[in-house]
Amino acid sequence: MITSPPNYPILTDPSWRSTWAHRALVACGSIMVLISLAKAIMGAAKLHLWFEPILVGLVGHVLADLMTGVYHWGIDNYGSASTPIFGSQIDGFQRHHKWPWTITRIEFASLSQVVAPAVTFTVLPMVLASNDPILHAFVAVCSGCIMLSLKIHAWAHTTKSQIPPLVIALQDMRLLVSPSKHANHHRPPYNNNYCMVSGVWNELLDKHQVFKALEMILFSKLGWRPRSWSETSSNWTEDTESQGLFNPSTIQAMD
Amino acid sequence: MASLTLPKHSIPSLLPTQTLSPRHSLFSHNLPIISNSSQSQFYGLKVSYSSSLSIPSSSSSSVKGSIFAKVNKGTVPPSFTLKDQDGKNVSLSKFKGKPVVVYFYPADETPGCTKQACAFRDSYEKFKKAGAEVVGISGDDPSSHKAFAKKYKLPFTLLSDEGNNVRKDWGVPSDLFGTLPGRQTYVLDKNGVVQLIYNNQFQPEKHIDETLKLLQNL
Repeated sequence: MITSPPNYPILTDPSWRSTWAHRALVACGSIMVLISLAKAIMGAAKLHLWFEPILVGLVGHVLADLMTGVYHWGIDNYGSASTPIFGSQIDGFQRHHKWPWTITRIEFASLSQVVAPAVTFTVLPMVLASNDPILHAFVAVCSGCIMLSLKIHAWAHTTKSQIPPLVIALQDMRLLVSPSKHANHHRPPYNNNYCMVSGVWNELLDKHQVFKALEMILFSKLGWRPRSWSETSSNWTEDTESQGLFNPSTIQAMD
Repeated sequence: MASLTLPKHSIPSLLPTQTLSPRHSLFSHNLPIISNSSQSQFYGLKVSYSSSLSIPSSSSSSVKGSIFAKVNKGTVPPSFTLKDQDGKNVSLSKFKGKPVVVYFYPADETPGCTKQACAFRDSYEKFKKAGAEVVGISGDDPSSHKAFAKKYKLPFTLLSDEGNNVRKDWGVPSDLFGTLPGRQTYVLDKNGVVQLIYNNQFQPEKHIDETLKLLQNL
């Protein structure tokens, strides 16, 4: 039996497993996305549209990338485990920085249930209020990317041999964030490459120091100091001491 | 970067010569205000309302801006007396007779301001060699300045402009639509006359390069 030092993730951490509640949340979110997608496809077919839905779908994909970046930046830099609503997510992201590989061990529903409520409650009114195929092409792609964003993030931490060829192809086409690009986020100064769907916004946002500007504004106006300003904080540093013991590939070799 | 805000005293419309190429990035370009009659150029942002503060008097488009500018090249800025990091009162007049670099920065212990302070520290000998003094001013209190100076071993004076009154008197423009205190540096010659105004929020180290360049020619 492998015993773990205090606070280290154990190989079969119960929080990584999906519960029925997780599955229900993810099902709700997914159903909303699929209904929106169905409305887009059926409406587009009926009106013989293809260019506009594809175009707005691409816009949705690009916007989803930006949205994940803003969320990721906020979660990484502000609040704590005791923050209402976001506390568990903040804690999860902090633990992810210490033990990045653990995200590859979290089951899909346990991972994606984080975003499922937001997707459900955002898409539901649009599904009820409209059948417009252009709107739904945008909504379906954008919300679908957000629904999958944490899994996309997990794939960016997974070795190629363990992810589907289609995902590898999408990473190579830069439609999904690649492991090499995302790795920059896990290196000092830990304050860049926040976007997690395709990463298409990262270069622009980092080059123009957009998040740094937002951090300065929040500090100037509200006194909120972002975690990324504390360069030596152990919150960011990957815990490599436990890697040898708890890394799944090592465990497999030991087997 | 050029300022993105509209200080109360500046005019809202952009002068044609200040409309800048959209190729320039939002935050990473300088707005060097090199008030040299042979060099009146602006770089950087589309929105440069606050550049009205720093229009060189030699520029043909400078007239409107200089009406509203508080401190311009060629003028003597308003004097002040502020507390330094040891709580002692320091007046601008103390530095008369030698060139002085007065740099306004947003806040202690922020990444950009730390980079800037450390860059001034690392080049301090060059400033001394040019006979110049360096003074940093922000809205932080003396105890914050003391801790900041101690942590980074800053050899120069930091002054507390609590309430940002001097910042307002000198007309230092804010950035990002007034949400961020601006980062602007003034070089005064030994007579107390402003010879350079340099503004760049997100490339703080450039303040050192630009000011040294001028000092070495003064």
